[in-house]
Amino acid sequence: MISDIIFIGLSFFAIAGALTMIFHTIPIYSALGLLISVLSIAGLFALLSATFMFMVQIIVYAGAIMTIILFILMFLNIKEENLPKEPKKNLYIIVGFILILPINYLIIKSISLLPDSNMNIVQENFGGIKEFGIKLYQEWLIPFELISILLLVALIGAVVLAKQRTIKKIKND
Amino acid sequence: MTNLMGYSIVSMILFSIGTIGVISRRNIFIIYMSIELMLNGINLFLVTFARYHFNMDGQILAMMTIAIAAAEAAIFLSVIILLFRTKKSLDTNIFNKLSKETK
Repeated sequence: MISDIIFIGLSFFAIAGALTMIFHTIPIYSALGLLISVLSIAGLFALLSATFMFMVQIIVYAGAIMTIILFILMFLNIKEENLPKEPKKNLYIIVGFILILPINYLIIKSISLLPDSNMNIVQENFGGIKEFGIKLYQEWLIPFELISILLLVALIGAVVLAKQRTIKKIKND
Repeated sequence: MTNLMGYSIVSMILFSIGTIGVISRRNIFIIYMSIELMLNGINLFLVTFARYHFNMDGQILAMMTIAIAAAEAAIFLSVIILLFRTKKSLDTNIFNKLSKETK
């Protein structure tokens, strides 16, 4: 009963944050809406008894990615004339809503065919950091190492993209 | 409410809002945040099915999605900084350098 109330509240905040994100024209309000949505999704993970995923979502998404987005937004010093003018925004949103309806209908209908099961919070042997680590290092070892290589490539790429390009200018002069 | 259907409806609504944001807005920041929202909706789906089948593979896949989203954030935001330095705008319609002939 209590988990139902928590579920409804968290879903309401997740959807309200997402709607705030796509309807605002000022980017910083959109970023704050996405932050609310991400934190509510972290709460839903905890309700699904995935405690380690709850922790990772808060640390990585709300702690790292959203901080980078807000930092870049303040760093760029965006003014009113830098924003694009979108006179037909609401029309495009309605058209997108109509276009996205069939796939939603298909997926919800296919899920309604599955047998229903009780999804209470379980306390032991599921979703904790110990079970997660055992599973990760025994069955998913090679994908885990590949992810670390991907992160290294992304680090080098970001450094290469963000550095000042001065050599070309000197040659042109 | 806390059954498979409720969680599926919430994650499909989040994914759909992300898709609508990608196809309807022109601000490049909002497009990036919509992509993040789509990844979050799919993560919720994966964790829901991990709980439904009582099998933790879905949670590990969701953690890998989060790692890929972190790598994507680094690259995407540095590209946004480069484009904003040269064009002084966040409009996606003027970032069409690749589709035209250069003089």
